[in-house]
Amino acid sequence: MKRSGLTVALIHMGLVLACAASLYPVLWVVKMALSPTQSLSLSVNPFPQEVTFDHFRDVLFSHDTQGRWLFGRQLLASLTVSALTTVVGLSLAVTAAYALSRFRFPGKDAGMQTLLVTQMFPATLMLVPLYSLLERLHLLDSWGGLVLVYSTSSLPFCVWMLKGYFDTIPRELEEAAVMDGATPWQVFVKVVLPLARPALAVTALFSFMQAWNEFILAATLINEAARFTLPVALQQYVGEWKTEWGHFAAGALIVSAPVMALFFALQKYLVGGLTAGAVKG
Amino acid sequence: MSGLRLSGIKKSYGDNPVVKGVDLDVASGEFLVMVGPSGCGKTTLLRIIAGLEQLDAGRVVMDETDLTHVPPRDRDVGMVFQSYALYPHMTVRENLAFGLELRKVPRAEIDERVGTAAKMLELSHLLERKPKALSGGQRQRVAMGRVIVRRPRLFLFDEPLSNLDTALRVQMRGELARLHRQLGVTMIYVTHDQVEAMTLATRVAVFNKGVLQQLGPPLELYNRPTNTFVATFLGSPSMNLLEARREGPSLVGKGFSLAVDGDFSGEVKLGLRPQDLLVAAEGPFGGEVEAVERLGFDGYVFLETEAGPLTARFDGSLPVDVGQVVKVRPSGDVAHVFSSDGTKALRHPGAKT
Amino acid sequence: MRWLWLIVLASCADDPTQRPLKLWHAYRGGEEQAIEASAKRFTEETGVPVEVLSVPFDAFSSKLTSAIPHGAGPDVFIFAHERLRQFHRLKVVAPSTARLARDKYLPSTVQALEVDGEFYGYPLSLKTLALFINTDLVKEAPTTTDEWLGQLEQTSNAAQTKFGLAYAAGDFYLHAPFVFGFGASLFDEKGRASFDTPGMAKSLAFVKSLQDRGFMPQEVSGALVKSLFNEGRAAMVISGPWFTGEIEPSVHYRIAPLPTVSETGLALTPFLGVEAAFVSSRSHRPDDAQKLAEYLSVGEASALRVNPGRQIPAELAAYERPEVASDPVISAFKEAGQRAVPMPNTLEMAKVWEPMKLALRGVLQGEVTPEAAGALAERRYVALNREQPSGRDRPDAASPIPYVIALGLALAGFAAWKWRRRGPARSFAQRYPEAARGLAYVAPAALGIAVLVIIPFSVGISLAFFHHEAGEYSFVGLANFVDILTSKGYRITEPLSFWFTLVVTIAWTFINVALHLGIGLFLAILLKDPLLKLRAVYRVLLIVPWAVPNYITALMWKGMFHRQFGAINGLLSLLGLEPISWFTQFSTSFSANVITNTWLGFPFMMVVSLGALQSIPQDLYEAAEVDGASKWTQFRRITLPLLKPALLPSVILGCVWTFNMFNIIYLVSGGEPGGATDILVSEAYRWAFQRNEQYGFAAAYSVLIFFVLLGWTRLTRRLSGPEAA
Repeated sequence: MKRSGLTVALIHMGLVLACAASLYPVLWVVKMALSPTQSLSLSVNPFPQEVTFDHFRDVLFSHDTQGRWLFGRQLLASLTVSALTTVVGLSLAVTAAYALSRFRFPGKDAGMQTLLVTQMFPATLMLVPLYSLLERLHLLDSWGGLVLVYSTSSLPFCVWMLKGYFDTIPRELEEAAVMDGATPWQVFVKVVLPLARPALAVTALFSFMQAWNEFILAATLINEAARFTLPVALQQYVGEWKTEWGHFAAGALIVSAPVMALFFALQKYLVGGLTAGAVKG
Repeated sequence: MSGLRLSGIKKSYGDNPVVKGVDLDVASGEFLVMVGPSGCGKTTLLRIIAGLEQLDAGRVVMDETDLTHVPPRDRDVGMVFQSYALYPHMTVRENLAFGLELRKVPRAEIDERVGTAAKMLELSHLLERKPKALSGGQRQRVAMGRVIVRRPRLFLFDEPLSNLDTALRVQMRGELARLHRQLGVTMIYVTHDQVEAMTLATRVAVFNKGVLQQLGPPLELYNRPTNTFVATFLGSPSMNLLEARREGPSLVGKGFSLAVDGDFSGEVKLGLRPQDLLVAAEGPFGGEVEAVERLGFDGYVFLETEAGPLTARFDGSLPVDVGQVVKVRPSGDVAHVFSSDGTKALRHPGAKT
Repeated sequence: MRWLWLIVLASCADDPTQRPLKLWHAYRGGEEQAIEASAKRFTEETGVPVEVLSVPFDAFSSKLTSAIPHGAGPDVFIFAHERLRQFHRLKVVAPSTARLARDKYLPSTVQALEVDGEFYGYPLSLKTLALFINTDLVKEAPTTTDEWLGQLEQTSNAAQTKFGLAYAAGDFYLHAPFVFGFGASLFDEKGRASFDTPGMAKSLAFVKSLQDRGFMPQEVSGALVKSLFNEGRAAMVISGPWFTGEIEPSVHYRIAPLPTVSETGLALTPFLGVEAAFVSSRSHRPDDAQKLAEYLSVGEASALRVNPGRQIPAELAAYERPEVASDPVISAFKEAGQRAVPMPNTLEMAKVWEPMKLALRGVLQGEVTPEAAGALAERRYVALNREQPSGRDRPDAASPIPYVIALGLALAGFAAWKWRRRGPARSFAQRYPEAARGLAYVAPAALGIAVLVIIPFSVGISLAFFHHEAGEYSFVGLANFVDILTSKGYRITEPLSFWFTLVVTIAWTFINVALHLGIGLFLAILLKDPLLKLRAVYRVLLIVPWAVPNYITALMWKGMFHRQFGAINGLLSLLGLEPISWFTQFSTSFSANVITNTWLGFPFMMVVSLGALQSIPQDLYEAAEVDGASKWTQFRRITLPLLKPALLPSVILGCVWTFNMFNIIYLVSGGEPGGATDILVSEAYRWAFQRNEQYGFAAAYSVLIFFVLLGWTRLTRRLSGPEAA
């Protein structure tokens, strides 16, 4: 269907406007990160007048009293916690999602309902009990505890998404594998999983992002600066009386960069992965 | 190669009975075609044989071994699916080798078997491609190849040609027949297409609503159907069925009377295949032509007679047209007679071969 | 996986009495440097290692009160003295009476650390308010308010945006001197806060008049004060020692104590805040901890406190050092400190802030008269502290027995209903042929969820039946729920009421999801055409908001909505419109939240819509085109109905997420004005962590939130029919 030139022009205009709205705040942050002051400035112009890399330098190279390179450790913390969360969460979710998609067993419907319902638990309700629980398990102030909490809290969403995708894989493929002599486990690992790569990528991305960006649990459960994850470290620039905007902006860019890069690398799977889950519910 | 015996198979989905007590013996090396309309239970039965469905009652025995509770992968059975079910993320070679790798067959033997099957099916030049780069016919052959490399005792086919266009279907039918001759292995084939049944089978099993209607060689089912269902299912255009009454030596119906011998009386159904009826100058049947199908050498006319619609053949050179009134006569002793409820055959054209 | 266990093991390995001393604080910059240097010296002199941790201020006190009772906290921590009584009640601080050398410090600083006859901690520094005077604009420091008013008259010129005075008038900490100066006392004889007094009204009237007469600007923020003073547009500022770091070198100033109120003869008396080093009651090395805490309060540590810390030391000896004595700022504040009254460390004090903030705001914005403001504060105070008619401030305890019985009956009834249906007897194996396998596959995930989600949730729910105060839990049955649902203590239409917040939350959810969906769908339709040039580029740019972590988004937008320096107001000015004070009115505050959340949320809907649109077969449109349907009709009759099943699960999920969207509300509007834009989830958080840890009440709130959501999803499933199941 050929569209009129006017329509095309209007479409482009609309999209450009939307992109501008979408990018403006981010540009603003970039500007604050690069401008020499620590305070907000009135100008609407999203491009910095003067450029300095001091804020980046301060954030990246700060050391604590023992001379340890804080940023390096915090980066390691975030990377480790997020990567482990992704691995643990995905492994737990993938088998459960497959079972919910393919097998019939008692409690299956109840299980599915529980998944949706757990999404609705307000986090405030859980903070205090979680703290006590982890303490009893001797997992306080450790990355292990954080990983466990993150993976299980992202589980319901991961299982929901993966199940939706598994539902779209034709059963005949699995039956063919069965006829070919595969055990149910082999069917799962050699046939179903390779085909679910897009959904796995998307789920991994979400798990990683959730862990990477989480603040309140990390701040409450970790007690040592060298073990803080990046969001907690970033929050330190937001003080009681004033915010060091320059440092905060630089820190924000550094913290968001890896996740944004990952996001864009995997974004082609997003449409497929999300809607497979969405279409099938 | 193996003989298979099904006894008393019953299967329901929820409250819906799909297979209602089927007994079937399959001889070793034969090509059995299970045919019937949609929903008649033939596919379910096939999957029960494969082990992909659990039966509610009955037994599946192959070569004296009771397979009823044996999982599919231990039954030594291969299956070609309607949609081929090729693994999209594997190449043709990997698809073919998959089953053998799972059974830890040595590499050398895998390569050898894959090579042989590929040659047999003319797939050798396609081995490194992925399924999405293949045509329908090629995919079908890969599906068959997957089963062939494993050399199971029993081959199962679930409507494998239904997704192909007509020309390809004809070609593949021939290949299937050739394959059966070459391998000599027992094959059970499910289809709703009676042409495939007639041309491929050593024996045909006709199913309707979960019940086996008749089992036997194709020609026997064609010539001596046990009920009106089988009679009308096989043969195209399908057999004409007219209501009639015995009156003396004849069968009399609305607007016709035909002399038919046989040991029956009362209300019956008279069965006449269109291929056995000819448009002629004189004949016991007649009516107005509603439609004409010219096939070159001959053709079919669809008539509206007093006794109902009637299909008959005509010689290609005869000028027949819609609206004409024509007469139709049987080409010989061609009458089938069934009970009036259609469940029993009372007479077949016996002397005719 | 193995090294996960190694990490876990490593963190619980060692011997407690040999661990380094842990010192926690919330300092930044120069203050942080001073503390770290002092800690280092301590280690050099005593050989005891010290681990210093800087905690983000927002999380500091809840971290302390959660960690210490579990034995996981610091040995020494630095905190303001106001919460001492609460710490005392929670039993997290150890007394220092034995060791504290009281005569070494300024008397008022020691006085601040006393509770019930015992002293806790060692005073480090003091904070109080003083008058900063730009000596280029005003020569003499005023000693009375009459003098002061005269000076203000001379130096103010509203037309040129010049003010005699600038200070954060909406902050009660800064208003307190006026309250005391006009003779009011914050507490009555019984020690309960009292707001509705003549002195309070007069103080409010005085301050309002300063604003009305143009002597000080409206809607002041810390940033504005700083910039006005630095630009010479504010002759005087009321602030504390921290302000000195913000003054430009070009400004000449001096510091003087606040003047005396001419009418009453009383000095404007600011609060004295003392920062002290407290010793944890659960320290594994109590003696060493006491030594460290004391060390930080005297000697070299004091000197470091002055430089680089720029704090006012509590130790008297510090002032004999030449570099301290000659420092005009430090000495001036010490003098001001001698006139100050220690901020009361009672529990009651902590309950004063929120009501007073409300009252001040109301008066300064002209919504409430100074005379009525006291009563307003009183009402808010009562509501927040949930005073019961019996006069006690906790709900009466109830017996748990009836509830346990009820629970048992409910479970039995549920079980009976589940197993009541006996259809055709099909064996278990027939109905569930893969039971064992299925359960095995689900087991790991199920276990994880059971332990780390279901258990805390159940504990959280049961907390709702208790009342928590200062570490003690008492069973109160349904009292919490009754209080919430009957909106006890305040009208239904007030922001604190559950119903008000519920309505706000529902409106918040609907408006947001509608916008997300509308915008997302609209953009998806624009992007649908695969032949559109630059399509991939647009798509990537439009999902940028999604990729940014949402707490960063929240703070970013909060900055953009800043009244004076935010980009949004800048844009408005550029377009010739009036800048808006976003967070002082409900409608604009709510809109700010909505705008932020919409920016955050539309990419998700856009991506889902794109996928859903692409799944609609093109031939349907072609058939419709041939049938003569217009584009709009096609949209209405083909696109929308076919989109519904695809979009519905995402919309439901989006509703749930938005309903519980804590970060945006908390970080952008902070619930302003006066808690009106708080949604249920942020309200629950405040009850738990900002209003004296009323965990039970917060838990009841959370339970209600949960049931509202549950009901909502059930309802939408029913409405959308079986297709969505």
